[in-house]
Amino acid sequence: MNDAPETPPQPPPADAGPPQAPEAPAPAAHAPGTFEDASSQALSEALHSSFRVIKVFMIGLTLLFLCSGMFIVEPNEVVVKLLFGKPEGTGKDQLLQPGWHWAWPYPINEKVRIKVGQSHTVSSTTGWYQVTPEMAAANAQPQALGYLRPEADGYTLTADGNIIHVRATIKYRITDPIQYAFGFTNVTEVLTNIVNNAIFHASARFTADQALYKEKTAFRDAVIARVQEKIEAHEVGIALEPSDVETVAAADVRDAFEKVNQMEQARSSEISRARSYQEELVNTALGQSNAIVNAGLVSSNRIVSGVQAAALAFDDQLPQYVENPRLFQERLLAARLQRVLTNTNAKFLLPEEFSELRLQLSREPESRESTPIP
Amino acid sequence: MKYHPVTLVTGLVVAAIFAAMLVCFQVRQTEVAVVTTFGRFSRTIDKPGFNLRLPWPIQSVHRFDNRVRNFERKYEQVTTRDARLILIDVFLGWKIKDARVFLERFGGDQMMAEERLEGILRDAKNGVVGQHPLSDFISPNPSELRFDAIEKEMLASVKPKALENYGVEVVLLGIKQIGLPQSITEKVFERMKAERDQLVKQFQGEGAGEAIRIRSEADLRRDQILAEAEAKATVIRGNAEQQAARALRTFEQNPELAVFLLKLDALEQALKERSTLVVDTRTPPFDLLRTPPTPATSK
Repeated sequence: MNDAPETPPQPPPADAGPPQAPEAPAPAAHAPGTFEDASSQALSEALHSSFRVIKVFMIGLTLLFLCSGMFIVEPNEVVVKLLFGKPEGTGKDQLLQPGWHWAWPYPINEKVRIKVGQSHTVSSTTGWYQVTPEMAAANAQPQALGYLRPEADGYTLTADGNIIHVRATIKYRITDPIQYAFGFTNVTEVLTNIVNNAIFHASARFTADQALYKEKTAFRDAVIARVQEKIEAHEVGIALEPSDVETVAAADVRDAFEKVNQMEQARSSEISRARSYQEELVNTALGQSNAIVNAGLVSSNRIVSGVQAAALAFDDQLPQYVENPRLFQERLLAARLQRVLTNTNAKFLLPEEFSELRLQLSREPESRESTPIP
Repeated sequence: MKYHPVTLVTGLVVAAIFAAMLVCFQVRQTEVAVVTTFGRFSRTIDKPGFNLRLPWPIQSVHRFDNRVRNFERKYEQVTTRDARLILIDVFLGWKIKDARVFLERFGGDQMMAEERLEGILRDAKNGVVGQHPLSDFISPNPSELRFDAIEKEMLASVKPKALENYGVEVVLLGIKQIGLPQSITEKVFERMKAERDQLVKQFQGEGAGEAIRIRSEADLRRDQILAEAEAKATVIRGNAEQQAARALRTFEQNPELAVFLLKLDALEQALKERSTLVVDTRTPPFDLLRTPPTPATSK
């Protein structure tokens, strides 16, 4: 240091570089003083070196301090920069978008990073049965104990006073980062309880059968609608994404529910078969009905047209008949027999006198054999 | 003694920082602060930003987290108005509304504040649940349900007390869980099983009965359809016979000829298809084969 005593030999100045080695040993009479001078000089040099190191370190720290203000906002996040604790800017300007930015080090500026690009998930914690890690790994369900332990087993009460298990897994993304980050100490806890509330709210108005089987979709919608209503009312700053709600019967009554389902299926199948029979029968009957009516029409037409034709023929033939009835009859009969005998398949003429006539009526055995047996 | 300028500036900066730390403070966006002078309340700062104060020990700054905090405690047994035992757990979200009261009551200890809130919440829970039957909590009839009303009643009971006594605002309250004591869950399961058994029997009978009903209805419908068709066809044929009857009057001019002609038609129709005819020689025209014609007759 510069305040060292000025005794010969003078120590080199602080910026004079390393001390030079003495050229000749000091006289013996001056030995103690020389020793003190050397110590002072060494101390001074050590202090100088230390200050130099500290100076460099300080300069480095200053540079580091200034550079520490640079930061990157990642693509899936926004950053709110607080100036003395207050967000800089207003509205959307408060949110720093992805890219390079600079801020004063704390406590002047503070950066709050908010993950807005990714989907977050929160699940209910009160409606599901207790799951151990082993059960979760094996996707196993708990054994029936005959009861549920309130402190361990989660469940909900349905509108008809029954017990079911419900688990809601709600997905969301952040739409209002300022409210999300600065409005709640722990958003996840609040959201979890909102989801818990929603599953009990929905269960309170659905029967067990509805929640488990008949109206599962409506039940899920009711849970999600309740969550939506609550997050809007409390301005959580999020928007829901497609989410999932599971419902299962408690282990103690699962078999009973399954049996009911099986019976209901059997009942539905039986009724369905009966309805098919009904449809088929009625359609067939409608077809037969048309056929009967049409047959009636055909018959009607035949009767009317036949009689009308016969009447016309009668009118034509009556004058000839009146003229010579016997000849007319013989002529008509002979003509008609001619047609009849022409059309008949077989004709047998018997002798005038015969003692026995035998008829074999099974003329067409082939067609009988080909008749399908009912 | 010589002073190096860098050292001097550094010393001044450090001294300024220390001085600033003594007289400056910031309130974060998530905070509310109370400034006290010699331990007595001076002012509340509820806006974020930079602030000044007198150095310690003259003034002190007490900062509190002003965000909504979630609070929930025990899953407790409560009795409804219709003497049903239920377990209910209620959560609430609270924040500091009056930081001065909060500081004076709890010295800034949020755990202590939550213990006091627990008492208020328990009173509200017991009081409100005791005024409602179980059917207000769970019911298939939406008009009977009072789920939301119960939550509102609890909030209305808790909110003013928390604000007035503790400077705390309860901003949200909801039922987290409703359950039954363990022994009652056992009874519920027994009832559920009995109901399921009854349903099984009901479905067994219902399915067969309903199927028989549908089938018999189908048979009846078929018979009706066919009967209606037969009736219609009969009417059609009747009309035809009526029309034919009018035409038959023509035959009354000579019934003998009419009968003869009808017989001829009938004979031809009867032997129209694949018939076998067995006749003897007396049948005309085969009688020609029996007696050779005489010359006289041949003439």
